[in-house]
Amino acid sequence: MNLVVVGLNHRSAPVEVRERLAFPKPALGEATCMLLGAAPLKEAAIISTCNRVELYGLAVDADKALAGMRRYLHDYHGLQDSVAPHLYEFCNNDCITHLLEVVSGLDSMVLGETEILGQVKDAYAAAQQAGATGPALNRLFQKSFAAAKHIRSNTGITQGSTSVANVAVELAEHIFRDLRTSTVMVIGTGAMSEATAKALRSRGAGTILVCGRDRERAAALAGQLGGQPIHYDDWPVEFDRVDIVISATAAPHPIVTPEKLEPLMKARHHRPLFLIDIGVPRDIDRGCGDMENVFLYNMNDLQQIAQENLAAREREIAVCRALIAERVAALAAWLEQNQDSLTQRYA
Amino acid sequence: MTERHYLWFALAFYAAATALTARRLQRGFAAGTLHHVNVALVVAGFLVHTLGLFLRGQHLNRCPLTNLFEVQMFIAWSLVLFYLVIGPSYRVSFLGAFTAPVVLAVVLTALVAPIDVLAKVPKKHSAWVEFHAAIGIVACGALALACVVGLMYLVQERQLKSHHPGRLLLLLPPVDQLDVIGFRLLVVGFALLTVGMIGGAVSHRVVGAWPWPKTVWAVAVWCLYGVLFGGRAMDAWRGRKAACGAITAFVFTLAAFWGATWLSK
Repeated sequence: MNLVVVGLNHRSAPVEVRERLAFPKPALGEATCMLLGAAPLKEAAIISTCNRVELYGLAVDADKALAGMRRYLHDYHGLQDSVAPHLYEFCNNDCITHLLEVVSGLDSMVLGETEILGQVKDAYAAAQQAGATGPALNRLFQKSFAAAKHIRSNTGITQGSTSVANVAVELAEHIFRDLRTSTVMVIGTGAMSEATAKALRSRGAGTILVCGRDRERAAALAGQLGGQPIHYDDWPVEFDRVDIVISATAAPHPIVTPEKLEPLMKARHHRPLFLIDIGVPRDIDRGCGDMENVFLYNMNDLQQIAQENLAAREREIAVCRALIAERVAALAAWLEQNQDSLTQRYA
Repeated sequence: MTERHYLWFALAFYAAATALTARRLQRGFAAGTLHHVNVALVVAGFLVHTLGLFLRGQHLNRCPLTNLFEVQMFIAWSLVLFYLVIGPSYRVSFLGAFTAPVVLAVVLTALVAPIDVLAKVPKKHSAWVEFHAAIGIVACGALALACVVGLMYLVQERQLKSHHPGRLLLLLPPVDQLDVIGFRLLVVGFALLTVGMIGGAVSHRVVGAWPWPKTVWAVAVWCLYGVLFGGRAMDAWRGRKAACGAITAFVFTLAAFWGATWLSK
């Protein structure tokens, strides 16, 4: 009995190809059953995300199974041209290694991202509910989830955000104990300030105030973020209730200076203040960052942290691979020991 | 085995927890298993520590707060007690990692320094004296933990201000939370200190005059923490100032206590 996988991902295929081969989530169970009928497989599961489509199976003859799985992909999606150059295939140990790297985020577009684990869990649950899995795939997937959890908590592969918006959120979470009670003020309505405010909102930021010279745009952004628009000239008035400021105006000179901030901090009872300066030229005078309880980050700082975090994650890859190798050896040994029982079961 | 043996065992547990802290910092991420082992080691140390103090009390037939050695042992014990209460209640990550080295330093100094000399037992024994001393030492435990939290605050603030935060940033709690916990510990510590002072004033009537260096020490410590409490309560000193205050005040309290004890001989 052999474990096999056929698939494509963000590295092997462009998005145009990936979207043609994607399986809609509600149809995953049914598609997995169809795969069992179309290819000589004893067990099957399909993973389909925006960055990858992969068919897993247990087969007596690996070559015939892989050919059947390739054919099924073409037939299911009614493709006229061949996508074979974009597909990769792995058997047994390589197949196990691949799945473990996928669930651990090592094979993801954003190295170490954790969303993939939930997506693979959903795919496995759909296959299981459709009755397409058996002892081999059950063990393979369950052990891969345990491995991913172990790797996540024992290495730094998931630590530190790698996008500017998420770095800002992560910093905010290490300044304030509860983002739900914090108020965010967005000054200026650029794409980056919108992305950062959305990231903060998605992590539960309580109130969002949007102020811009263009009132309509400010009101539109406030509507999108579930916040409230305020007049541009009123930002100092609202400042005493603000915890996080995202500033991205086109002003030629700093709009926040230590001289302006000093009395505002006093009015805020010196509560911590997180200033995110995305404006070019900068909106917030550097001197503000030297004030007590004020934490100032500009675009360069955030970009540099994102790059450093990515580099740190890359340094963890070798450790993760060593942990994966141990798990692969154990799973391969189990498959070897259970060859007879699996053959008997599917005879 | 004597009570000192148990206290050495407690020291071994705290030393192991400190070594584990160094390992966690070296690895640079919140290893879940290591965190649980760290807490287990501190709990084991605390239980053996409690047994050691209990046996010491039985041997003396009174609360073991008669000399500098016992006082330091009691401060370390109450520091761990507060950690075990605060850590899980506030889900403060890495508090144990910072607490273990401080406890280790206090216990090791007490065991190694020649300070475990039998004190003269006052002729007029009073429950008020023991109450005053015990409450004062428990207060010191809360203030010692406030000092640990202050250290954590300074480390985390440095990470945030540096603009190149390392992985330690991810391990430590938010500065805002550390500031609030530090203040609550200061409130508890200062309240207990005040109760202890009242106990001291009452026992003064029973046992006669306290040695003047200890009286000066107690009043100075109470005034110092009173100023810190007032400054923080009025929002004048929060964040970095409050953290530096908590650290300086606790270091002063310990150093001045040593000085007062020597002067009282």
